[in-house]
Amino acid sequence: MTSQRDEPASIADLDFGDDLRPLRLTLEPEQIAEYVHSANQVAPRFLSDEGGQQDGLPGQIAPGNLSLAIFSRLLEQAAPGAQVQKISATFRAFVRPAVAMIASGVVTDVEDRDGGKLFECDLMLETEIGDRLVTGTGTVFVAL
Amino acid sequence: MADPLADIDRALLGQVFEQSISKPVTAEQMIRYAQACGETDPRYLEDGPDLVANPTFAVTLRREKFVPEGVPRDLIYRGMDAGKDVEIGVHVRPGDVLTGVSTLHDIYEKTGRSGKLTFLVLRLVVENQRGEMVAVIDQKMMFR
Repeated sequence: MTSQRDEPASIADLDFGDDLRPLRLTLEPEQIAEYVHSANQVAPRFLSDEGGQQDGLPGQIAPGNLSLAIFSRLLEQAAPGAQVQKISATFRAFVRPAVAMIASGVVTDVEDRDGGKLFECDLMLETEIGDRLVTGTGTVFVAL
Repeated sequence: MADPLADIDRALLGQVFEQSISKPVTAEQMIRYAQACGETDPRYLEDGPDLVANPTFAVTLRREKFVPEGVPRDLIYRGMDAGKDVEIGVHVRPGDVLTGVSTLHDIYEKTGRSGKLTFLVLRLVVENQRGEMVAVIDQKMMFR
């Protein structure tokens, strides 16, 4: 995976309505294949274009679990050392290799909790030209 | 089109249809998975006493069945993977043994502009050897 992260900043400085720092990334075919091997999720559609086409797909696709992992990285980038508590993802289109993508998020709620703050965020993974691939939400606890 | 879920016995809801137990998780597995996720956080990448698994690691638990007896096994290939909700509990550490319990959690319908959609939710609850919740993963399949 090639990706670019901005300098991390504390999510504790963020408030309702603030944007998370975006995560820009492009999945390579080999990296999707390596992911599914490491995740015990091996299936032809995740390994090659030929495998995807055998299943009637346009080619190789990434499994939904990899999108969850991308959302997890996005939240952790905003809150280094914090605890990701929930991630929800709705799959709207195939995540494919060699496509430049942006993972982004916005803080939708902040609650004081014992010893820290709980942040809820809306999350999105889209192509650089704005095609929405995955939408979701995330909850992260930051100890203060 | 006939409802592909109409013949599913609703008495199956909530019944355990599979229990899977992992071998002790190794640091190598955890690091390989984190690398494949594109992680750069040393908590997930550097072997040692502070190593923990990426928050989405529970998805790697190997399972044999994807649907209960009484539900056509090919059903999940006829539906669309609509999304996942993951609640994340305690960290996974080297040596942990994970147990996953799978249930058919819910079947529900939604009607939109394109007509009726039926959703099937498969739940996987993952605990460690101390009985602590590691993750609750709801996989939503959508059928037109």
